[in-house]
Amino acid sequence: MTDNVAGGGDAAGMNIRRYLPQRRTLISLAGLVIVLCLWAVVTMGLKLVSPVRFPSPLDTWSAARQLIFTGYGGGLLWEQVWHSSRLVLLGFAVAASSGVALGIIMGISRRAQLFINPTFLLLRPIPPLAWIPLAILWFGLGDTSKIFVIWYAAFVPCVLNTLAGIRTVDKTLIAAARVHGASPGRVLREVQLPGALPMVFTGLRLSLQACWTTLVAAELVGAFFGIGRVLVIAGQDIYPGMILVAMLCVAALGAGMTKVLTVIEQRLLAWRFA
Amino acid sequence: MSAIEFHNVGRKFGAYEAIADVSLAVRDKEFIAIVGPSGCGKTTLMRMVAGLEFPTEGRVTVNGRVVRAPGPDRAVVFQQFALLPWRTVRENIGFGLTCTGTAASEKRKLVDHYIKMMHLDGHADSYPHQLSGGMQQRVALARSYVIDPDVLLMDEPFGALDAQTRTVMQEELVRLARDNPRTVLFITHSVEEAVYLADRIVVMGKKPGCIREIIDVSDVRTSEAWQELGIDEVMDLPSFVHLRTRVWRLLRSQMDDE
Repeated sequence: MTDNVAGGGDAAGMNIRRYLPQRRTLISLAGLVIVLCLWAVVTMGLKLVSPVRFPSPLDTWSAARQLIFTGYGGGLLWEQVWHSSRLVLLGFAVAASSGVALGIIMGISRRAQLFINPTFLLLRPIPPLAWIPLAILWFGLGDTSKIFVIWYAAFVPCVLNTLAGIRTVDKTLIAAARVHGASPGRVLREVQLPGALPMVFTGLRLSLQACWTTLVAAELVGAFFGIGRVLVIAGQDIYPGMILVAMLCVAALGAGMTKVLTVIEQRLLAWRFA
Repeated sequence: MSAIEFHNVGRKFGAYEAIADVSLAVRDKEFIAIVGPSGCGKTTLMRMVAGLEFPTEGRVTVNGRVVRAPGPDRAVVFQQFALLPWRTVRENIGFGLTCTGTAASEKRKLVDHYIKMMHLDGHADSYPHQLSGGMQQRVALARSYVIDPDVLLMDEPFGALDAQTRTVMQEELVRLARDNPRTVLFITHSVEEAVYLADRIVVMGKKPGCIREIIDVSDVRTSEAWQELGIDEVMDLPSFVHLRTRVWRLLRSQMDDE
Protein backbone atom coordinates (compact mmCIF):
# COMPACT_ATOMS: atom_id res chain seq x y z
CA MET A 1 0.00 0.00 0.00
CA THR A 2 2.66 2.43 1.10
CA ASP A 3 4.87 1.25 -1.75
CA ASN A 4 2.11 1.99 -4.24
CA VAL A 5 1.68 5.50 -2.94
CA ALA A 6 5.43 6.17 -3.05
CA GLY A 7 5.61 4.74 -6.57
CA GLY A 8 2.73 6.96 -7.69
CA GLY A 9 4.47 10.01 -6.27
CA ASP A 10 7.65 9.18 -8.18
CA ALA A 11 5.76 8.71 -11.42
CA ALA A 12 4.11 12.11 -10.98
CA GLY A 13 7.54 13.65 -10.36
CA MET A 14 8.84 12.09 -13.58
CA ASN A 15 5.89 13.54 -15.49
CA ILE A 16 6.66 17.03 -14.29
CA ARG A 17 10.30 16.68 -15.26
CA ARG A 18 9.41 15.38 -18.70
CA TYR A 19 7.74 18.67 -19.66
CA LEU A 20 10.69 20.92 -20.37
CA PRO A 21 10.04 24.67 -20.70
CA GLN A 22 10.01 24.73 -24.54
CA ARG A 23 7.67 21.78 -24.59
CA ARG A 24 5.36 23.42 -22.07
CA THR A 25 5.15 26.60 -24.19
CA LEU A 26 4.42 24.49 -27.23
CA ILE A 27 1.55 22.66 -25.53
CA SER A 28 0.04 25.95 -24.27
CA LEU A 29 0.34 27.51 -27.74
CA ALA A 30 -1.32 24.46 -29.29
CA GLY A 31 -4.29 24.95 -26.96
CA LEU A 32 -4.66 28.56 -28.05
CA VAL A 33 -4.40 27.66 -31.75
CA ILE A 34 -7.09 24.99 -31.37
CA VAL A 35 -9.46 27.48 -29.72
CA LEU A 36 -8.85 29.92 -32.62
CA CYS A 37 -9.49 27.16 -35.17
CA LEU A 38 -12.71 26.10 -33.43
CA TRP A 39 -13.81 29.72 -33.43
CA ALA A 40 -13.13 30.04 -37.16
CA VAL A 41 -14.88 26.75 -37.95
CA VAL A 42 -17.97 27.56 -35.89
CA THR A 43 -18.42 31.14 -37.20
CA MET A 44 -17.07 30.92 -40.78
CA GLY A 45 -16.99 27.26 -41.78
CA LEU A 46 -20.16 25.77 -40.31
CA LYS A 47 -21.87 29.15 -39.80
CA LEU A 48 -23.44 27.83 -36.58
CA VAL A 49 -23.57 31.33 -35.08
CA SER A 50 -24.90 34.36 -36.88
CA PRO A 51 -22.24 37.09 -37.30
CA VAL A 52 -24.67 39.58 -35.72
CA ARG A 53 -24.52 37.59 -32.49
CA PHE A 54 -20.91 36.52 -32.48
CA PRO A 55 -18.20 37.86 -34.79
CA SER A 56 -15.90 35.66 -36.83
CA PRO A 57 -12.11 35.99 -36.53
CA LEU A 58 -12.13 38.00 -39.78
CA ASP A 59 -14.80 40.45 -38.51
CA THR A 60 -12.78 40.87 -35.34
CA TRP A 61 -9.59 41.43 -37.30
CA SER A 62 -11.16 44.15 -39.45
CA ALA A 63 -12.64 45.81 -36.34
CA ALA A 64 -9.20 45.74 -34.75
CA ARG A 65 -7.69 47.36 -37.88
CA GLN A 66 -10.36 50.05 -37.77
CA LEU A 67 -9.65 50.79 -34.10
CA ILE A 68 -5.88 50.86 -34.70
CA PHE A 69 -5.81 52.99 -37.87
CA THR A 70 -8.95 55.12 -38.05
CA GLY A 71 -10.15 55.03 -34.46
CA TYR A 72 -13.48 54.31 -32.80
CA GLY A 73 -15.46 55.71 -29.89
CA GLY A 74 -13.54 58.98 -30.00
CA GLY A 75 -9.95 57.79 -30.39
CA LEU A 76 -7.37 55.43 -31.83
CA LEU A 77 -6.56 52.13 -30.11
CA TRP A 78 -3.47 53.43 -28.34
CA GLU A 79 -5.34 56.50 -27.10
CA GLN A 80 -8.17 54.41 -25.65
CA VAL A 81 -5.75 51.90 -24.17
CA TRP A 82 -3.58 54.62 -22.70
CA HIS A 83 -6.56 56.36 -21.18
CA SER A 84 -7.84 53.21 -19.45
CA SER A 85 -4.41 51.91 -18.44
CA ARG A 86 -3.48 55.24 -16.93
CA LEU A 87 -6.59 55.20 -14.74
CA VAL A 88 -5.98 51.60 -13.69
CA LEU A 89 -2.32 52.26 -12.90
CA LEU A 90 -3.13 55.41 -10.92
CA GLY A 91 -5.95 53.72 -9.01
CA PHE A 92 -3.86 50.63 -8.42
CA ALA A 93 -0.83 52.61 -7.23
CA VAL A 94 -2.90 54.59 -4.74
CA ALA A 95 -4.80 51.49 -3.59
CA ALA A 96 -1.66 49.33 -3.30
CA SER A 97 0.32 51.87 -1.31
CA SER A 98 -2.51 52.89 1.01
CA GLY A 99 -3.88 49.34 1.32
CA VAL A 100 -0.54 47.71 2.12
CA ALA A 101 0.29 50.51 4.55
CA LEU A 102 -3.02 50.13 6.39
CA GLY A 103 -2.63 46.33 6.36
CA ILE A 104 0.80 46.65 7.99
CA ILE A 105 -0.48 49.06 10.64
CA MET A 106 -3.42 46.78 11.46
CA GLY A 107 -1.11 43.76 11.34
CA ILE A 108 1.41 45.01 13.87
CA SER A 109 -0.96 46.84 16.21
CA ARG A 110 -3.95 45.08 17.77
CA ARG A 111 -5.17 48.47 18.94
CA ALA A 112 -5.14 49.89 15.41
CA GLN A 113 -6.98 46.82 14.19
CA LEU A 114 -9.67 47.13 16.87
CA PHE A 115 -9.98 50.83 16.07
CA ILE A 116 -10.29 50.46 12.31
CA ASN A 117 -12.07 47.11 11.99
CA PRO A 118 -15.69 48.21 12.66
CA THR A 119 -15.54 50.89 9.95
CA PHE A 120 -13.82 48.49 7.62
CA LEU A 121 -16.37 45.71 8.19
CA LEU A 122 -19.18 48.16 7.55
CA LEU A 123 -17.73 49.47 4.27
CA ARG A 124 -16.48 46.13 2.97
CA PRO A 125 -19.81 44.64 1.80
CA ILE A 126 -20.60 47.72 -0.31
CA PRO A 127 -19.81 46.76 -3.92
CA PRO A 128 -17.40 49.23 -5.57
CA LEU A 129 -19.93 49.96 -8.30
CA ALA A 130 -22.44 51.16 -5.71
CA TRP A 131 -20.04 54.03 -5.08
CA ILE A 132 -20.27 55.28 -8.66
CA PRO A 133 -23.25 57.62 -8.16
CA LEU A 134 -21.66 59.21 -5.10
CA ALA A 135 -18.28 59.39 -6.84
CA ILE A 136 -19.85 61.21 -9.80
CA LEU A 137 -21.62 63.55 -7.38
CA TRP A 138 -18.31 64.30 -5.63
CA PHE A 139 -15.85 64.32 -8.50
CA GLY A 140 -17.96 64.67 -11.67
CA LEU A 141 -17.84 62.43 -14.71
CA GLY A 142 -14.10 62.87 -15.18
CA ASP A 143 -11.14 60.70 -14.26
CA THR A 144 -11.08 61.49 -10.55
CA SER A 145 -14.36 59.73 -9.85
CA LYS A 146 -13.12 56.64 -11.69
CA ILE A 147 -9.83 56.62 -9.82
CA PHE A 148 -11.78 56.88 -6.58
CA VAL A 149 -13.96 53.88 -7.39
CA ILE A 150 -10.96 51.86 -8.59
CA TRP A 151 -9.10 52.73 -5.42
CA TYR A 152 -12.01 51.56 -3.29
CA ALA A 153 -12.29 48.26 -5.18
CA ALA A 154 -8.57 47.55 -5.05
CA PHE A 155 -7.97 48.78 -1.52
CA VAL A 156 -9.89 46.05 0.30
CA PRO A 157 -7.97 42.97 -0.96
CA CYS A 158 -4.66 44.78 -0.33
CA VAL A 159 -5.55 45.53 3.28
CA LEU A 160 -6.97 42.10 4.05
CA ASN A 161 -4.14 40.09 2.51
CA THR A 162 -1.38 42.26 3.97
CA LEU A 163 -3.02 42.01 7.39
CA ALA A 164 -3.31 38.24 7.10
CA GLY A 165 0.28 38.03 5.79
CA ILE A 166 1.70 39.97 8.73
CA ARG A 167 -0.38 37.98 11.23
CA THR A 168 0.62 34.59 9.88
CA VAL A 169 4.38 35.20 10.07
CA ASP A 170 5.89 32.44 12.21
CA LYS A 171 5.97 33.70 15.83
CA THR A 172 9.19 31.76 16.45
CA LEU A 173 10.94 33.73 13.68
CA ILE A 174 9.94 36.97 15.38
CA ALA A 175 11.10 35.64 18.76
CA ALA A 176 14.39 34.50 17.20
CA ALA A 177 14.99 37.96 15.75
CA ARG A 178 14.22 39.65 19.07
CA VAL A 179 16.51 37.42 21.16
CA HIS A 180 19.36 38.15 18.76
CA GLY A 181 19.00 41.87 19.35
CA ALA A 182 16.54 43.09 16.70
CA SER A 183 14.60 46.27 17.49
CA PRO A 184 10.85 46.36 16.68
CA GLY A 185 11.65 48.31 13.50
CA ARG A 186 14.15 45.70 12.40
CA VAL A 187 11.74 42.88 13.21
CA LEU A 188 9.21 44.58 10.92
CA ARG A 189 11.73 45.13 8.09
CA GLU A 190 13.63 41.87 8.32
CA VAL A 191 10.99 39.40 9.47
CA GLN A 192 7.38 40.56 9.26
CA LEU A 193 7.47 42.30 5.88
CA PRO A 194 9.44 39.62 4.00
CA GLY A 195 7.30 36.97 5.68
CA ALA A 196 4.11 38.71 4.61
CA LEU A 197 5.32 39.34 1.06
CA PRO A 198 3.78 36.27 -0.62
CA MET A 199 0.35 37.19 0.76
CA VAL A 200 0.86 40.86 -0.07
CA PHE A 201 1.36 39.82 -3.69
CA THR A 202 -1.76 37.66 -3.59
CA GLY A 203 -3.58 40.80 -2.45
CA LEU A 204 -1.99 42.90 -5.20
CA ARG A 205 -3.01 40.41 -7.87
CA LEU A 206 -6.62 40.32 -6.66
CA SER A 207 -6.52 44.07 -6.41
CA LEU A 208 -5.28 44.49 -9.98
CA GLN A 209 -8.11 42.30 -11.26
CA ALA A 210 -10.56 44.40 -9.26
CA CYS A 211 -9.07 47.53 -10.88
CA TRP A 212 -9.89 46.36 -14.40
CA THR A 213 -13.35 45.06 -13.49
CA THR A 214 -14.22 48.33 -11.85
CA LEU A 215 -12.70 50.53 -14.52
CA VAL A 216 -14.64 48.91 -17.34
CA ALA A 217 -17.85 49.10 -15.31
CA ALA A 218 -17.19 52.74 -14.46
CA GLU A 219 -16.50 53.58 -18.10
CA LEU A 220 -19.69 51.81 -19.12
CA VAL A 221 -21.63 54.12 -16.81
CA GLY A 222 -20.13 57.27 -18.20
CA ALA A 223 -16.88 58.13 -19.95
CA PHE A 224 -15.59 60.24 -22.83
CA PHE A 225 -12.67 57.93 -23.62
CA GLY A 226 -11.35 54.50 -22.81
CA ILE A 227 -11.95 50.83 -23.54
CA GLY A 228 -15.25 50.91 -21.65
CA ARG A 229 -16.35 53.77 -23.90
CA VAL A 230 -15.47 51.68 -26.97
CA LEU A 231 -17.61 48.85 -25.53
CA VAL A 232 -20.60 51.16 -24.96
CA ILE A 233 -20.48 52.71 -28.45
CA ALA A 234 -19.93 49.31 -30.11
CA GLY A 235 -22.95 47.99 -28.22
CA GLN A 236 -25.08 50.90 -29.36
CA ASP A 237 -23.87 50.43 -32.95
CA ILE A 238 -24.53 46.67 -32.75
CA TYR A 239 -20.93 46.05 -33.81
CA PRO A 240 -19.99 42.64 -32.34
CA GLY A 241 -16.50 42.65 -33.89
CA MET A 242 -15.62 45.86 -32.05
CA ILE A 243 -17.19 44.61 -28.80
CA LEU A 244 -14.93 41.58 -28.95
CA VAL A 245 -11.86 43.71 -29.77
CA ALA A 246 -12.52 45.85 -26.71
CA MET A 247 -12.95 42.75 -24.55
CA LEU A 248 -9.72 41.27 -25.89
CA CYS A 249 -7.96 44.56 -25.13
CA VAL A 250 -9.04 44.32 -21.49
CA ALA A 251 -7.91 40.69 -21.40
CA ALA A 252 -4.49 41.51 -22.89
CA LEU A 253 -3.91 44.55 -20.66
CA GLY A 254 -5.04 42.70 -17.54
CA ALA A 255 -2.87 39.70 -18.33
CA GLY A 256 0.09 41.93 -19.21
CA MET A 257 -0.05 43.88 -15.96
CA THR A 258 -0.51 40.69 -13.94
CA LYS A 259 2.57 39.30 -15.69
CA VAL A 260 4.62 42.36 -14.72
CA LEU A 261 3.45 41.88 -11.13
CA THR A 262 4.45 38.21 -11.23
CA VAL A 263 7.92 39.08 -12.55
CA ILE A 264 8.40 41.60 -9.73
CA GLU A 265 7.20 39.00 -7.23
CA GLN A 266 9.63 36.40 -8.54
CA ARG A 267 12.47 38.90 -8.28
CA LEU A 268 11.60 39.74 -4.70
CA LEU A 269 11.02 36.12 -3.71
CA ALA A 270 14.02 34.80 -5.63
CA TRP A 271 15.22 32.92 -2.53
CA ARG A 272 12.29 30.53 -2.88
CA PHE A 273 13.49 29.31 -6.26
CA ALA A 274 17.18 29.06 -5.29
CA MET B 1 26.68 36.29 41.81
CA SER B 2 25.10 33.61 39.70
CA ALA B 3 24.59 33.99 35.97
CA ILE B 4 20.88 33.15 36.10
CA GLU B 5 18.71 33.24 39.18
CA PHE B 6 15.09 32.25 39.60
CA HIS B 7 13.68 33.67 42.84
CA ASN B 8 10.42 31.93 43.84
CA VAL B 9 9.21 32.22 40.27
CA GLY B 10 5.55 31.50 39.50
CA ARG B 11 3.56 31.88 36.32
CA LYS B 12 -0.20 31.82 36.02
CA PHE B 13 -2.20 31.87 32.81
CA GLY B 14 -5.53 33.13 34.14
CA ALA B 15 -6.54 30.67 36.84
CA TYR B 16 -4.16 28.00 35.53
CA GLU B 17 -0.93 27.77 37.49
CA ALA B 18 1.80 26.71 35.05
CA ILE B 19 4.78 27.18 37.33
CA ALA B 20 4.93 27.60 41.11
CA ASP B 21 7.76 28.60 43.37
CA VAL B 22 10.77 27.76 41.25
CA SER B 23 14.09 28.83 42.71
CA LEU B 24 17.36 28.00 41.00
CA ALA B 25 20.79 29.57 40.76
CA VAL B 26 22.82 28.79 37.66
CA ARG B 27 26.54 29.41 38.02
CA ASP B 28 28.57 31.21 35.41
CA LYS B 29 29.62 28.87 32.55
CA GLU B 30 27.48 26.08 33.93
CA PHE B 31 25.59 23.75 31.57
CA ILE B 32 22.15 23.02 32.98
CA ALA B 33 19.78 20.51 31.40
CA ILE B 34 16.11 20.68 32.26
CA VAL B 35 14.01 17.53 31.88
CA GLY B 36 10.41 17.00 32.83
CA PRO B 37 7.09 15.67 31.62
CA SER B 38 5.29 17.64 28.87
CA GLY B 39 3.43 20.61 30.25
CA CYS B 40 5.71 21.07 33.27
CA GLY B 41 6.67 24.56 32.16
CA LYS B 42 10.24 23.91 30.97
CA THR B 43 9.82 26.12 27.94
CA THR B 44 8.04 28.82 29.95
CA LEU B 45 10.98 28.86 32.35
CA MET B 46 13.40 29.32 29.46
CA ARG B 47 11.27 32.00 27.80
CA MET B 48 11.34 33.97 31.04
CA VAL B 49 15.12 34.09 30.90
CA ALA B 50 14.92 35.10 27.24
CA GLY B 51 12.50 37.92 28.09
CA LEU B 52 9.80 36.50 25.82
CA GLU B 53 7.54 35.82 28.83
CA PHE B 54 7.40 37.17 32.35
CA PRO B 55 6.75 35.65 35.78
CA THR B 56 3.57 36.55 37.61
CA GLU B 57 5.34 35.78 40.93
CA GLY B 58 8.95 36.24 41.96
CA ARG B 59 11.65 37.37 39.56
CA VAL B 60 14.25 36.15 37.10
CA THR B 61 17.66 37.82 37.00
CA VAL B 62 20.58 37.46 34.62
CA ASN B 63 23.88 38.72 35.96
CA GLY B 64 21.96 40.38 38.76
CA ARG B 65 19.61 42.35 36.50
CA VAL B 66 15.90 41.57 36.35
CA VAL B 67 14.90 40.40 32.86
CA ARG B 68 12.54 42.92 31.26
CA ALA B 69 12.97 42.36 27.50
CA PRO B 70 14.75 40.07 25.06
CA GLY B 71 18.36 40.94 24.35
CA PRO B 72 21.43 39.60 22.57
CA ASP B 73 23.04 38.74 25.93
CA ARG B 74 20.56 35.81 26.09
CA ALA B 75 20.44 34.09 22.71
CA VAL B 76 17.98 31.26 22.07
CA VAL B 77 18.37 28.19 19.86
CA PHE B 78 14.91 26.92 18.91
CA GLN B 79 13.76 23.39 18.13
CA GLN B 80 12.43 24.54 14.73
CA PHE B 81 15.74 26.34 13.91
CA ALA B 82 13.85 29.62 13.21
CA LEU B 83 16.23 30.79 10.48
CA LEU B 84 15.10 33.56 8.14
CA PRO B 85 14.22 31.64 4.95
CA TRP B 86 14.94 34.68 2.75
CA ARG B 87 18.46 35.14 4.11
CA THR B 88 21.54 33.12 3.21
CA VAL B 89 23.51 31.10 5.74
CA ARG B 90 26.03 33.94 6.01
CA GLU B 91 23.32 36.56 6.52
CA ASN B 92 21.50 34.40 9.08
CA ILE B 93 24.65 33.85 11.12
CA GLY B 94 25.48 37.56 10.94
CA PHE B 95 21.93 38.64 11.87
CA GLY B 96 22.65 39.40 15.53
CA LEU B 97 25.90 41.19 14.65
CA THR B 98 23.97 43.40 12.21
CA CYS B 99 21.48 44.18 14.97
CA THR B 100 24.20 45.17 17.42
CA GLY B 101 25.93 47.31 14.79
CA THR B 102 29.19 45.36 14.54
CA ALA B 103 31.55 46.77 11.88
CA ALA B 104 31.32 44.99 8.52
CA SER B 105 34.92 43.74 8.49
CA GLU B 106 34.69 42.43 12.04
CA LYS B 107 31.35 40.79 11.23
CA ARG B 108 32.76 39.07 8.18
CA LYS B 109 35.68 37.71 10.19
CA LEU B 110 33.45 36.36 12.97
CA VAL B 111 30.90 34.85 10.59
CA ASP B 112 33.68 33.17 8.57
CA HIS B 113 35.10 31.75 11.77
CA TYR B 114 31.80 30.16 12.75
CA ILE B 115 31.09 28.92 9.23
CA LYS B 116 34.36 27.01 9.42
CA MET B 117 33.83 25.89 13.00
CA MET B 118 30.35 24.54 12.24
CA HIS B 119 31.52 22.77 9.06
CA LEU B 120 29.36 24.95 6.87
CA ASP B 121 32.11 25.75 4.35
CA GLY B 122 30.71 25.86 0.85
CA HIS B 123 27.19 26.61 2.08
CA ALA B 124 27.70 30.24 3.08
CA ASP B 125 25.55 31.53 0.23
CA SER B 126 22.90 28.80 0.38
CA TYR B 127 19.42 29.45 1.71
CA PRO B 128 18.22 27.47 4.74
CA HIS B 129 15.74 25.37 2.72
CA GLN B 130 18.65 24.07 0.67
CA LEU B 131 20.28 22.55 3.77
CA SER B 132 19.55 19.43 5.81
CA GLY B 133 17.97 19.76 9.25
CA GLY B 134 21.29 19.14 10.99
CA MET B 135 23.02 21.85 8.96
CA GLN B 136 20.18 24.30 9.59
CA GLN B 137 20.57 23.74 13.31
CA ARG B 138 24.33 24.32 12.98
CA VAL B 139 23.51 27.67 11.38
CA ALA B 140 21.17 28.48 14.26
CA LEU B 141 23.84 27.50 16.80
CA ALA B 142 26.39 29.68 14.98
CA ARG B 143 23.93 32.60 14.89
CA SER B 144 23.61 32.38 18.68
CA TYR B 145 27.29 31.71 19.47
CA VAL B 146 28.61 34.47 17.22
CA ILE B 147 27.04 37.29 19.24
CA ASP B 148 28.91 36.02 22.30
CA PRO B 149 25.93 35.95 24.67
CA ASP B 150 26.33 35.61 28.44
CA VAL B 151 23.64 32.95 28.42
CA LEU B 152 22.66 30.43 25.75
CA LEU B 153 19.14 29.08 25.92
CA MET B 154 18.35 25.93 23.98
CA ASP B 155 14.81 24.67 23.67
CA GLU B 156 15.03 21.03 22.56
CA PRO B 157 17.45 22.07 19.83
CA PHE B 158 17.94 18.55 18.52
CA GLY B 159 14.33 17.44 18.93
CA ALA B 160 13.53 17.84 15.24
CA LEU B 161 16.60 15.92 14.01
CA ASP B 162 16.93 12.25 13.16
CA ALA B 163 18.77 9.98 15.60
CA GLN B 164 22.14 9.88 13.78
CA THR B 165 22.29 13.63 13.17
CA ARG B 166 21.26 14.17 16.75
CA THR B 167 24.23 12.15 18.05
CA VAL B 168 26.65 14.08 15.85
CA MET B 169 25.18 17.37 17.03
CA GLN B 170 25.41 16.33 20.69
CA GLU B 171 29.11 15.59 20.26
CA GLU B 172 29.61 18.92 18.54
CA LEU B 173 27.84 20.72 21.33
CA VAL B 174 30.15 19.08 23.86
CA ARG B 175 33.12 20.20 21.77
CA LEU B 176 31.71 23.74 21.56
CA ALA B 177 31.01 23.83 25.30
CA ARG B 178 34.56 22.65 26.00
CA ASP B 179 36.20 25.18 23.65
CA ASN B 180 33.95 28.16 24.47
CA PRO B 181 32.37 27.56 27.85
CA ARG B 182 29.08 29.45 28.25
CA THR B 183 26.22 29.44 30.67
CA VAL B 184 23.70 27.15 29.02
CA LEU B 185 20.10 26.31 29.83
CA PHE B 186 19.25 23.26 27.76
CA ILE B 187 15.73 21.85 27.59
CA THR B 188 15.35 18.29 26.40
CA HIS B 189 13.07 15.28 26.43
CA SER B 190 16.01 12.92 26.20
CA VAL B 191 17.45 11.71 29.50
CA GLU B 192 20.60 10.45 27.75
CA GLU B 193 21.15 13.81 26.13
CA ALA B 194 20.77 15.52 29.51
CA VAL B 195 23.23 13.18 31.28
CA TYR B 196 25.74 13.38 28.43
CA LEU B 197 25.69 17.17 28.09
CA ALA B 198 24.92 18.75 31.44
CA ASP B 199 26.86 19.68 34.54
CA ARG B 200 23.61 19.59 36.49
CA ILE B 201 20.24 18.12 35.55
CA VAL B 202 17.07 19.78 36.80
CA VAL B 203 14.17 17.32 36.95
CA MET B 204 10.82 19.07 36.93
CA GLY B 205 7.38 17.90 37.99
CA LYS B 206 4.04 19.27 36.97
CA LYS B 207 0.65 20.50 38.19
CA PRO B 208 1.98 23.03 38.85
CA GLY B 209 5.44 23.00 37.25
CA CYS B 210 8.17 22.90 39.87
CA ILE B 211 11.69 21.58 40.47
CA ARG B 212 11.66 18.04 41.95
CA GLU B 213 15.35 17.33 42.10
CA ILE B 214 18.70 18.58 40.89
CA ILE B 215 21.36 16.02 40.02
CA ASP B 216 25.00 16.96 39.80
CA VAL B 217 26.83 15.24 36.97
CA SER B 218 29.90 17.46 36.79
CA ASP B 219 32.08 15.48 39.25
CA VAL B 220 31.63 12.18 37.42
CA ARG B 221 32.08 13.92 34.07
CA THR B 222 35.41 15.53 35.04
CA SER B 223 36.79 12.53 36.92
CA GLU B 224 36.06 10.17 34.02
CA ALA B 225 36.93 12.78 31.35
CA TRP B 226 33.68 12.26 29.39
CA GLN B 227 34.33 15.25 27.20
CA GLU B 228 37.33 13.44 25.74
CA LEU B 229 35.20 10.46 24.72
CA GLY B 230 32.61 9.91 22.00
CA ILE B 231 28.99 9.70 22.98
CA ASP B 232 28.75 5.93 22.37
CA GLU B 233 31.76 5.29 24.62
CA VAL B 234 30.31 7.45 27.35
CA MET B 235 26.96 5.71 27.10
CA ASP B 236 28.64 2.35 27.85
CA LEU B 237 30.24 3.58 31.07
CA PRO B 238 28.69 2.20 34.28
CA SER B 239 28.65 5.70 35.76
CA PHE B 240 26.61 6.96 32.79
CA VAL B 241 24.17 4.06 32.96
CA HIS B 242 23.75 4.60 36.68
CA LEU B 243 22.99 8.33 36.28
CA ARG B 244 20.70 7.73 33.34
CA THR B 245 18.68 5.20 35.34
CA ARG B 246 18.45 7.56 38.27
CA VAL B 247 17.21 10.49 36.17
CA TRP B 248 14.85 8.24 34.23
CA ARG B 249 13.27 6.86 37.44
CA LEU B 250 12.76 10.38 38.75
CA LEU B 251 11.22 11.49 35.49
CA ARG B 252 9.07 8.37 35.36
CA SER B 253 7.71 9.02 38.84
CA GLN B 254 6.67 12.52 37.70
CA MET B 255 4.88 11.09 34.70
CA ASP B 256 3.15 8.36 36.76
CA ASP B 257 1.64 11.03 38.98
CA GLU B 258 -0.81 11.89 36.21
